[in-house]
Amino acid sequence: MTPVLRSEALKALTVRSWWTLALPVAALAIMINIFGGVFGAAVGSGLDEGLPGVLLASLAYSLSLTSVFAAVYGAVSATAEFRHRTVSTTYLTGGRHPVLLAKAAVAAGVGAGYALLAGVLGLFAGLLGQGAARLPPVGLLLGVIAFGIAVCAVWGALGVAVGTLVTNQAGAVVSLLVYLLVAENLIALVLRSGADDDRAPGAVARLSSFLPGNATDIALYDLPAHELGGRFGTSLVEGLAGVSGPPPGWGALLVLLVWAGAGMALAWVVGDRRDIT
Amino acid sequence: MQPDGSGRIRVDGLGKTFGAVAAVRGLSFTVEPGAVTGFLGPNGSGKTTTLRAILGLVRPTTGSALVEGVPYAQLAQPGRVVGAVLEAQGVHPGRTARRHLEAVAAAVGVSDERVAQVLELVGLADAADRLAGGFSLGMNQRLALATALLGDPRILVLDEPGNGLDPQGIAWLRTFLRGFARSGRTVLVSSHQLAEIGQTVDRLVVVDGGSCVYQGGLDGVRGRAAVRVRCADPARLAEALAARGVLEIDHLADGELAVAADAVLVGDTALAAGVALYGLVEERGDLEQMFLRLTGGVA
Repeated sequence: MTPVLRSEALKALTVRSWWTLALPVAALAIMINIFGGVFGAAVGSGLDEGLPGVLLASLAYSLSLTSVFAAVYGAVSATAEFRHRTVSTTYLTGGRHPVLLAKAAVAAGVGAGYALLAGVLGLFAGLLGQGAARLPPVGLLLGVIAFGIAVCAVWGALGVAVGTLVTNQAGAVVSLLVYLLVAENLIALVLRSGADDDRAPGAVARLSSFLPGNATDIALYDLPAHELGGRFGTSLVEGLAGVSGPPPGWGALLVLLVWAGAGMALAWVVGDRRDIT
Repeated sequence: MQPDGSGRIRVDGLGKTFGAVAAVRGLSFTVEPGAVTGFLGPNGSGKTTTLRAILGLVRPTTGSALVEGVPYAQLAQPGRVVGAVLEAQGVHPGRTARRHLEAVAAAVGVSDERVAQVLELVGLADAADRLAGGFSLGMNQRLALATALLGDPRILVLDEPGNGLDPQGIAWLRTFLRGFARSGRTVLVSSHQLAEIGQTVDRLVVVDGGSCVYQGGLDGVRGRAAVRVRCADPARLAEALAARGVLEIDHLADGELAVAADAVLVGDTALAAGVALYGLVEERGDLEQMFLRLTGGVA
């Protein structure tokens, strides 16, 4: 396993994709959090304690977008083998299962790196934006970034699973983007359409929290929403993530892990049976 | 089951169907170490599918393809047992030859010094730090061979390695493969071009339409050659030859006979039968004709 992991890490570092995707991650984190800082300072200026939770929310938002880039990275790294026909050599020397695990591990590392980059740059940008306004508690700041690192790592691995299942590079990336940016919102909308009472959502409406993209948002928005909304925190999570009856942040992270596990299991089986012609 | 370390490849009743297309049908042959085995067949005869089944890249529908007695996937260190040069084998265009080899070397478990060695061996040392995206077909083939050799394997499997190589490259490859086999290792090399393979191989496996039509030494193939005979009385000579057990006799349109027998035997028989001979031409059938005959082409 270790030699294959080393091989996959070398492969990742010797092509451009990891840093070409890091550039938009950095740019978005800076822009979103400067705005978050400015906005938080402006809205909170009339309040005694300010509104430090706004910066937490903007950090969470930029980390949510970062997770999409982590997923795209994973999908690109897995499909590049098929696109450039290097997969024969890779499977011959590494074995299919070790290669899948090693790629997932490397993509998880890259995803975590993106989150760290977005978290650190986003924090500085936010501080710059809000000027002298009150800081959010350090524990919460670190908490949001830690959740970001976790979800982006999981999405990196999930991207590898998707790229192993859909080996066409454009197909895998487009599927991921269409699902995360469009399809999942529509599914959540349909699931929640039956709920007449927001305070007691039905079982079907609650399913919206268990979709992978929504689970990601819940995990990220849980801390900022409760800081901002106090006892209305859960409603705020519902609004920000577009879900009904969300589990707590750590629960959502577990949901996402289950999705990743399922994706990897499917990739494990399908990747093992595929003919490389 | 443990790999036996023999360097032997054994294909047994191998069949592979893609959708409705049977690419390989009940193919059986053995590849022994210490020789270059040519794997010959027209385009679309199932060569690539067979090689990929041996390498565990294609799942057989029926039968098996074993390397050292086990399926490829069960080899503990496959990169040190088998090296493969496959058709249209890729390199990421954004990676240099050296970085590509280093990544593979890490998976195989060999050092970066070995990378420098194989680059030197295939004559790519000067281009090692160029992006593979700018390589010619021939350079890519050399890089693929370098990749295959990284683990210093006991078995080399090559699918159409001559494609894209210039004449010097082909000559070099021939010498290399013969030397590799002479050191007691196994070479299985496929081709649809006889000229390329004829001078290199010791043994042949010929496939057509997914089935094996010949396997054995080159001499066995050439031994089937015919003698063309021009004589005074073809019918009587044919009768006399038949009496001596030579039954493969063709009466050609121009009155000549094509006899599947040794020229000496034909001459002696003609003398004994009192048939005057006007011409006796030994046709040591070259591989090209043999190939076309075996694969149903027109000789």
